[in-house]
Amino acid sequence: MGITRRNLLRGTAAGIAVAGTGFSTQLLAGQKTVKIGLNIPMTGDYAPWGLPGLYGCNIVANNINAAGGVEIGGETYMIEPVGYDHGYDTEKAITGYNTLRHDDAAMIMMLGGSTVGSIIGRAQRNKMLVSTLLPSDITPDTSNLVAPSESHPLYNCTGVDWLADNFPDAKSAVIVTTNDIEYGQQSAAVYQAAFEARGIEVLDTNFHGFDVTDFAPIVQGLLASKPDIFCMATDVYTTPLIEALYNQGYEGKIISCTLDLYDEVIAKTSKEFVEGIIFQFPDFDDPALQSDDILFPDPSGFWDTFQKDYPGQWSAVAWEYPANLVTWVSAAQAAGSIEPMDVLAAMKANPNPPHVFGTGKWWGKDLYGLDNCVVGRWPVVTMQNGRARIVEFRDVGAWLDKNLDILKRKMQDLGLRTV
Amino acid sequence: MELFLQSIVNSLIQGGFFALWAVGLVLIFGVMGVVNFAHGELVMVGAYTVWLLHAQNDVPFLIAIPVAIIIAMMIGLVMERFLFRPNRTDPLAGLICSIGVLFILQVIAHEVGGTGPAKQVAPPFNQIVEIGESLRIPMQRLFSLGVAIASLGVLWFFLTKTKLGWALRAVALDREASALQGININRISMIAIGVGAAMAGLAGALMAPLQNITPHMGHNVIITAFIVTIVGGVGSLSGAVAAAFIYAAFHTFVTAYFNGTVATICGLLIMVVVLIIKPTGIMGVKVSE
Amino acid sequence: MSIKNLIICIVILAGLVALPHFLAYNFQDLLIFLAVNVLVVVSYRLVTLTGEWSLIHVVMMGVGAYASAMLSKMAGFPFWISMPIAGLTAATIAALLCFPLFRMTQFYFLIGSFAAGEAIRLVWIYFIDPFGGSSGINNLPPPELGDIDFYEPIPYFYMTLIIVTISLFILYRIEKSRVGLTLNAVHWKAPLAESVGVDTWKYRSLALIVGSFFVGIAGALKVHYLGVVTPHQFGIGVMVFVLIWVIVGGYASFVGPIIGVVVLTVFDQGLRASGIVDPAVQPAVYGAVLIASILFMPEGLEGIGKRFFSKSSGENA
Repeated sequence: MGITRRNLLRGTAAGIAVAGTGFSTQLLAGQKTVKIGLNIPMTGDYAPWGLPGLYGCNIVANNINAAGGVEIGGETYMIEPVGYDHGYDTEKAITGYNTLRHDDAAMIMMLGGSTVGSIIGRAQRNKMLVSTLLPSDITPDTSNLVAPSESHPLYNCTGVDWLADNFPDAKSAVIVTTNDIEYGQQSAAVYQAAFEARGIEVLDTNFHGFDVTDFAPIVQGLLASKPDIFCMATDVYTTPLIEALYNQGYEGKIISCTLDLYDEVIAKTSKEFVEGIIFQFPDFDDPALQSDDILFPDPSGFWDTFQKDYPGQWSAVAWEYPANLVTWVSAAQAAGSIEPMDVLAAMKANPNPPHVFGTGKWWGKDLYGLDNCVVGRWPVVTMQNGRARIVEFRDVGAWLDKNLDILKRKMQDLGLRTV
Repeated sequence: MELFLQSIVNSLIQGGFFALWAVGLVLIFGVMGVVNFAHGELVMVGAYTVWLLHAQNDVPFLIAIPVAIIIAMMIGLVMERFLFRPNRTDPLAGLICSIGVLFILQVIAHEVGGTGPAKQVAPPFNQIVEIGESLRIPMQRLFSLGVAIASLGVLWFFLTKTKLGWALRAVALDREASALQGININRISMIAIGVGAAMAGLAGALMAPLQNITPHMGHNVIITAFIVTIVGGVGSLSGAVAAAFIYAAFHTFVTAYFNGTVATICGLLIMVVVLIIKPTGIMGVKVSE
Repeated sequence: MSIKNLIICIVILAGLVALPHFLAYNFQDLLIFLAVNVLVVVSYRLVTLTGEWSLIHVVMMGVGAYASAMLSKMAGFPFWISMPIAGLTAATIAALLCFPLFRMTQFYFLIGSFAAGEAIRLVWIYFIDPFGGSSGINNLPPPELGDIDFYEPIPYFYMTLIIVTISLFILYRIEKSRVGLTLNAVHWKAPLAESVGVDTWKYRSLALIVGSFFVGIAGALKVHYLGVVTPHQFGIGVMVFVLIWVIVGGYASFVGPIIGVVVLTVFDQGLRASGIVDPAVQPAVYGAVLIASILFMPEGLEGIGKRFFSKSSGENA
């Protein structure tokens, strides 16, 4: 049972990282350190969208520190990511926020949703810089909250656009997603808008809870209307959904926001079946990411280290928190300061803010009330011969300029907040 | 029509699982008077065992299933011997102890599986049976249905045709009178929880290739098992089985024709209505105090 | 209340007023949650006095929290008005639920209350308008009173302390009154109580309604500090912790649940701060403590304290 032991070891290794001591570079006496807080879920149902981010930040920070740190305002700093596990609980999020703030964190990174809602009023008063992965957290009153890397779920428009261009015969779609606001409903609104913008009819949208044990009824109910496109808006249950599609012998197009752990999807279905599935999250060893206009440091090196150190843990957020960290570093260097409000000012002052997949622009005023999220180009990824590969980059900002009215209407129909 | 036929098949498969979850809960409650809150975690243990043995270590699926059953059963027996038996007079204490076990089992699962996304088990039987033009049923789901029905049949035979089964039902009906008749309550309790936990472990093992495996998956199991138990009648095994299939059909059809959230809300409302109209359930008998 | 108890109470209150000034900033808000939780467990104990263990208490807290949040956010009510209305709303919903729920007893009541609570939570999730769905209602305003800054933990703690103390005093008086004694009678000798003309249904309902009123207040106190109300804050997981606090502390007396929630919260935070146990493993430690307390101290922490106290005072005599 040697392999059992390996699994146990893996569990323990994950446990140690949870304890917040993932910082492995030895600090030399007299060196300055800047702490970046991650107030994120590391346990519970939302852990897959928190913990891999801390792992990613540790890798990026180790690389920066190994190269001698960063120079900010004439001082050399080492970077130390500090994690606090709030388990997606609003009470613990406040304690985490206060703990990290008192630990002198220069920025606090969060996943988003209600946990951001519970701390953002405090961050406004304390002049603390907070980052989120969900631009929908931004309101007219949250000037200290930025979404510099991920523009969930706005970028989903790029996949639909690419699909419509390349498969003009696909004329109808069904959408399935979870019934929460932050991920499922926001994402469903974008997909509905993107389909409408391209003249694709949405036949049915099914919102389900987190208590589903059998996806066959949902999938069969949706397929009864014979759609050309099956769309999974940010649904954590992509694997069982695709499996149910496979069991039904579905032959149409599949589009999804994420396709985490696609190896397991292939194991449950077949390589042929997943071929051509369209989604939005590339593997970082993708050839298309190894060019100079990609503003993430050494994507393939990052991918290799992550796969080696944290096998089976990669998820869509693995590079997003690190991307926010990288954005912070360049803004702090521009500001010549690590003071949160100076860094924020420097971030916002840049009309072409660096974005993972190239430069972007500050956006959000017309939808959320403040221009505090960065939209730029975003990759359209498809499954090709068992691997996720980028087929094209498309401009999210251009789509929004053209189709904002449709998006607003779809969001309002679902009862979601817009300005 | 196609969707209708498929939904009937889905209802049967779901019903088989619901029945396996609920009979254990009913047996344990009936014989020992304890609400086993950790029952869903026994299902989770079954699923994790299959994941660990079959998906991670290539142990054949058909061997992993009995191992899962045995592990769940052992946990059940330990719970009875060391937690429920000392608290026989206080059902509340048993309930709280089972909550303690729930926490511990979830953490063990978390430590064994590590954090990260939900675990997946590739289906060992990946053929698809096609009936007629449009009805497609994966072999894995048919297998689960077959095993579930077979094991419910064995349980029925055990309870109605064997002496031990009679003794078990007698204890469930009236514990004190049975003890006076010379039935060994402790022995019967061990058997009840052994059988109940084995059913839970089996359900978990069968479910492993069909759904996301997480340390918290027991939560949905216990809620559904409660609904089924209440609708069927707390003291009634046949009621629980009937309610399992009725509730599964209801849930499946509402999910397929409307959506999943509505199905869950309606399920809870049905339970509340049954409680108001006939608190002893559709097949329940009035239990004397 | 005897003079001795009165002095003890005053000393404890004085200690609590001084306490936050000795704590690190990030522990100060834990004090607020602790004070709120004290009100939750004590009001829960009132419900359990009649012998029925409900699983809807935390959802009732949510009913109060949502009522206060919606009134202050959508209708602009000040906290000082929305908070009592929160209590009244929870009490009203509880009164409506009495009709179906108290047709059941014991196991049926336990599960029935659980189902009713889950149904209420699903309504919050499903009806985005007006409840805000899974992400709930954001940006709740803190209370306003003169120049006091209720964003800061210490002022908020003092306000919570005052409201909780008044509530505890009322709950204590209820328990020691004729009504409280009757509730106990309903628990231990229901047939006898009925035979002397006590309407057990009425008293069970009364306990649920009064308990819900106070836990509704607790809900309002909690979410106006958090600034956000969501359905996840009132799930069965939270209810389980309330059960644990009450039972580990000991539910036979008024102070038992308070001891339970205080000791376990301090234990929990100590464990987390010490770093000995990985946070992911903490629930297992909790589970083990729970089992040990059931097996080895059936009367809870309060029972141990009492035994120790009576022994030592016996020696003195």
